[in-house]
Amino acid sequence: MSALSSRERVQKFFAKEPIDTMPCFSGQGMVTVPAIEALGIRFPAIHLTAENMAGSAIQSMEMFGFDGAVVPYDMCTIPEAFGLEVSIYEDSEDILYPTIPSKWPRPEEVQIPRDYLQKARMPVVDEAIRMLKTRIGSTHAIGTWLLGPFTLAGQLVELDVLMKMSLKEKDKVEALLDKLTELIIDLGHHYRKLGADYVNLREMGTGADIISPRLFKMIVQPRLRRIFEAWDSPKILHICGSTDMIVELMNDCGAEAISVDHKNTLSETRSKLGNEVLLLGDYDGFTLPGQAKPEQIQAAIKACIDGGVDAVWPGCDIWPDIRSENLKMINDTIKAMGRAPTPAVGRF
Amino acid sequence: MSKDKLREELHKVLSDGVVNFEEEKVKEAAQRVVDEGLDAYDAVMNGLAAGMEIVGDLYDKHEYFVPELLMAADALYGGLDILKPHLKLDDMDQRLKGQVVIGTVQGDVHDIGKNLIKMMFEVAGFTVHDLGRDVPLEKFAEEQMRTDSEIVALSAMMTTTMMGMKKVVQMIKEKNPNVKIMLGGAPLTGDIAKLFGADGYAESAGNAVQEAIKMISQLRKLEG
Repeated sequence: MSALSSRERVQKFFAKEPIDTMPCFSGQGMVTVPAIEALGIRFPAIHLTAENMAGSAIQSMEMFGFDGAVVPYDMCTIPEAFGLEVSIYEDSEDILYPTIPSKWPRPEEVQIPRDYLQKARMPVVDEAIRMLKTRIGSTHAIGTWLLGPFTLAGQLVELDVLMKMSLKEKDKVEALLDKLTELIIDLGHHYRKLGADYVNLREMGTGADIISPRLFKMIVQPRLRRIFEAWDSPKILHICGSTDMIVELMNDCGAEAISVDHKNTLSETRSKLGNEVLLLGDYDGFTLPGQAKPEQIQAAIKACIDGGVDAVWPGCDIWPDIRSENLKMINDTIKAMGRAPTPAVGRF
Repeated sequence: MSKDKLREELHKVLSDGVVNFEEEKVKEAAQRVVDEGLDAYDAVMNGLAAGMEIVGDLYDKHEYFVPELLMAADALYGGLDILKPHLKLDDMDQRLKGQVVIGTVQGDVHDIGKNLIKMMFEVAGFTVHDLGRDVPLEKFAEEQMRTDSEIVALSAMMTTTMMGMKKVVQMIKEKNPNVKIMLGGAPLTGDIAKLFGADGYAESAGNAVQEAIKMISQLRKLEG
């Protein structure tokens, strides 16, 4: 059989069909400083125009041999479209991702404009996905992501208020989560229509180092189920931080792929979840591309594969200021070590 | 009821109130400590702080999580606000002397961990200089120099913001290598904290509280 294109490899991977080797990709930001510098732009600029966003994603993909490109990079596009102010740090020479300096004081005060898709940078993200589709869509996978309802709520309402109200005034928090769930369902469909091959649902504010498994089961899981029931495949759920206590709950949300970070005990997770589910993870996106020695890279990738992942991918956004030789080595190692079948995906 | 019995009883109400998030009960008990002329510092350390120690243990055992820590913190502050004006000068001499500069680095607006550890420092008797969140990096070094603080505590919740910590550590250590620097936040590991040149680290809000509790427990033992 002839070699697969990158896009075919990713698509077949998610369909759990035999592939040639493990795809090299991510469900989160993987823009790099070398790519940004090659385009002659500064870090804040990659968030502001579709050309810079799509261009830096493609450049990062091509420079380091990824099977796909991922946009956007920051978590403020939706809150900004709802009318909250965003700090872009345009004058900073450091790598600073946009933030929301001031949020709504209570969940019941959150306002969702009907035309939010036309506001702020939402059209920039749409256009960036369209550009990716046009420029690389026939050969490479296009990835995007959305925050899960609880994590998105934490971008709209002060997190401490949200967390306390989750215990004291649950109904008010749940009312907001319900609204956001519907919005996330619609946005997922929207991004797939624009050309995204997969949408990663990142509910990273709900790990067991933050909220209890009980609270996860009570207010988070029902909404994740609704989203995955409504979305088309592939369905990916990512939670970072402490996930050992909740992987079974994660697996019971209707996703076909579970993504975790390096704080997860992979072998135990695989053993708990069985071999049907796609397991994605879980290299450290800061240390490995930015700091590690060659032998540490080899060992880390091997540990992920030995732990039972179907694709080795970063457990968080790749820290952009990478060492080029490290990221190339990571991806080369994944391709070389990934030729053997994994628990959920065979090889031809 | 004897003073000793009353003291013991009120300390229990304060401690249980923190553990069970009963802010009103804690306020009432704190007010009674004041009204009955009992030692306010004793009530802070052996009532409120003792309760937070139990909360820390419950976090460690995965019975409490961050929302529970925040609720307990509200109850503790309810009592602390009442007791603080009644700490005597002698108490101040007994208390651990020290100053801390604390803040969340530029690019990060998540301050739960920072606020929890700030509270524990306050309980332990430190003077806390809170710079807030999304703080420009040079501010930490400036504030440390201005206040001559012994400790600088920095927090970042996201991988995407923790690099700022490295710069702050460098800036401060260049000027004053004796300053102790604590880093906190989910993306950190011991190796990264070491790489950044920090003296200590906690990976989550709960761990930060645990670290602070260990310090306070030592203090209580010394005083006991």
